[in-house]
Amino acid sequence: MRELIAIRAGSILTISGDVIENGTILIEDGKMKAVGQEVVVPDGARIIDAKGKYVAPGLIDAQSRLYVIDGELNESRAIAPELDILDAVDPFIKERQEVLAQGVTAACIAPGNRGLLGGLGAVLKMRRAKTSKEMVLRTNVAVKGAIGISHSNESSSLTRLENYSSIREALLETQTYMQQKRKYGQELAEYEKKKAEKKEQAKSDDQQADKGEPASRGAKDKPARPAKPRTNPTYEVLARVLGKEIPLQIEAHRPDDILNALRLADEFDLCLILDKCTEGYKVADQIARRKIPVIAGPISTSFLDMPALEYRNHDARNAAILSKKGVKVAIGVAGWDGASSKFIALAAAMAVANGMDRHAALRAITLTPAEIFGVAERIGSLEVGKDADVVIFNGHPLDAFSQVEMVLIEGKIVYEGSREAGSQQKVAQ
Amino acid sequence: MKHKMLLLAILFLSLCAGPVMAGAGQQTLVIKAGVIWPITGSAITNGLIIIENGKISAVGTNLPVPEGAKILEMPDKQVMPGLIDGHCHLGLSLDVFGEIEETVSAITPDMQILDAFNPLAEDVEKALRSGVTSVLLAPGYRNPIAGQMAIVKLPGEKRDAWLINRSAGVKFSLGNEALMYDRRPTSRPGLIALVREELNKASQYQQSKFDPRAEILKRVVQGQLPVHIYCNTVDEIFAAIKLIDDYKLKAVLVGAREADELANVIAERNIPLIYMPTILASKDKDLKRVGKIAAAGVKVAFASYAPRTNLSDLRTSAIIAAKYGLAHELALKGLTINAAEMLGIAQRLGSIEAGKDADLVILSGDPLDLTSGVEMVIINGDIVYQKEQK
Repeated sequence: MRELIAIRAGSILTISGDVIENGTILIEDGKMKAVGQEVVVPDGARIIDAKGKYVAPGLIDAQSRLYVIDGELNESRAIAPELDILDAVDPFIKERQEVLAQGVTAACIAPGNRGLLGGLGAVLKMRRAKTSKEMVLRTNVAVKGAIGISHSNESSSLTRLENYSSIREALLETQTYMQQKRKYGQELAEYEKKKAEKKEQAKSDDQQADKGEPASRGAKDKPARPAKPRTNPTYEVLARVLGKEIPLQIEAHRPDDILNALRLADEFDLCLILDKCTEGYKVADQIARRKIPVIAGPISTSFLDMPALEYRNHDARNAAILSKKGVKVAIGVAGWDGASSKFIALAAAMAVANGMDRHAALRAITLTPAEIFGVAERIGSLEVGKDADVVIFNGHPLDAFSQVEMVLIEGKIVYEGSREAGSQQKVAQ
Repeated sequence: MKHKMLLLAILFLSLCAGPVMAGAGQQTLVIKAGVIWPITGSAITNGLIIIENGKISAVGTNLPVPEGAKILEMPDKQVMPGLIDGHCHLGLSLDVFGEIEETVSAITPDMQILDAFNPLAEDVEKALRSGVTSVLLAPGYRNPIAGQMAIVKLPGEKRDAWLINRSAGVKFSLGNEALMYDRRPTSRPGLIALVREELNKASQYQQSKFDPRAEILKRVVQGQLPVHIYCNTVDEIFAAIKLIDDYKLKAVLVGAREADELANVIAERNIPLIYMPTILASKDKDLKRVGKIAAAGVKVAFASYAPRTNLSDLRTSAIIAAKYGLAHELALKGLTINAAEMLGIAQRLGSIEAGKDADLVILSGDPLDLTSGVEMVIINGDIVYQKEQK
């Protein structure tokens, strides 16, 4: 049975196109079927009246800690790209409701920054669920890495040198591993071919033997089966990084670390995503020239209660400067716990205060992160064919005092007024 | 003779300093703005502020513009008083806590934080760009009696007359941070006992045997020097209130995360409160606390703890507080006049009124709109920061 919903909106912030005034969004079975001023609403559609309100795509926090109990997950091994963040997700975490109530419908979660290659990230939808499987929009969105993070708040340039070269070494080893695998593949094919030939030979020999002719000597020099190289999960994942199938998301703060990440991208022809990129404003041209996307943040490092060395030269204008130089900039909260993701619209507003274009800032918390993590065909804008993840605000989303009135995920109302739909628990007053 | 020379030198220096100070602010400056937020009165649309000799001489609409005045026409901008940060560590080269923590001894009231202040530090510049013009510099969190706080104006390019008060009060810390495993106090009751011991000693202090610590604490127990008590949890706040009651301290609570639970107790004593950076909270319950505290009648101002939080945008703290229930008017007062009153500088700062220092922030929009950017900062009538033009 078709489920039809029509949202009659004041201003539709499509993000991908112009703002549509007094338009309608028609939703069929969780997808947007029509978006525009001249939308014919079929009989039987449920009408949601949002006249005079702002309707926007669900917000995305590209640096969320939601669902991850400890705030940050770190493996003691430095190189562990095969770890999957989904294995440590708690779908029952309470803060989800408060974050949802601020219009956030998707979160990108990734391992922490203690490892050099910490593991695989994922994009989750903020729907109520009992298993992570029900929330996942996309797995393996990136391998999270880090260069130049000081853990004891003591700068050690030696460690910094080691960071870059260790990641490089792992990638070089992966290349060798792939060569060996390719070689094995060729040898195996050759072996199979020889084996088949032998079989043919033996067959004809048998036939000849039947005819009373002597068998050829072939049976003795049986082709040797090549030794199968051991499967290595680390290199298997990194092989997909080298194949540009999975991007490498590197957290780097200082210009030297950022440039080292860029060097890796140049040398190995990777899909690189720069994460945090605190001093990116100093090397904005280099980032822009390579068309490397950046997940800037935190806009105000106040989201972190620590005077981390990495943020020493933090400049609130970072996102604005990068964006003006033509870098594709997403904004993340990177709060110290999961609930901080609720500040994502505030983070974008702060970027505007520091010179970022209003539209770019709004895009930085919707379509841009969706593009960076390869989920833009599903979420990030209000377009026909995409998931109906829609938020109704009573004012502009970048106005700190705007209230979220309704949130839909895939056409289902998941939050309405002051409470989560279908939940007894009151979320906000 | 020597003394005379010294006096002459001082006199000469101060004479030099005088004209330099006035020189910059001597020219009459007139700001015409779309909206002026005097804070102590209601907002003025299309008003003007006249600044003479670094002081505000008049505020209003239709005022006669003095001849020869420099006029700043800003019809689409809004003006508010310079923001006052109630508790921070700017200019103290704070990479790690150690640099403001005198951890060898737990009781260091004689320590003056101003001695570690570097007015040229980068974080000072950042705070200035965010609209902060005056700050209370505080020692750290690890000592129950931590030292003397100072009040300074942020220097910017004009580095004159920035010191307001070298000894603005003593900071007490009743927080967890003050407990250490290798020196007294190691426990919460032990911490309170130690503070009491020191205050008792100071009450009985005779000047015949000079003790620099008791010298300061004597002024505290006599109510001459205020204390700012850092406390967060209900038990810490209770302990602070008991100290204030028992020793009749002139006190301000700092941090005070859970003060909403005791808001009435605090309100009936008229104890003002400098609230922690609201952005350090993330759960709705915590974000709503400051609004409840103010609603109970407690006077609230804001603190950044910068750069401990790396927060230079004090205004964000107030906006978040307002988003989660603090009355907008009180959010603005908390950034300005309330802070000025708590720091004892309200006769000079905290509002746009004739006679006060011309410390102003010019914003691209409403002060409580997070997307409003700081366009210009004026201290003592001098433009100390101006946003780069595109």
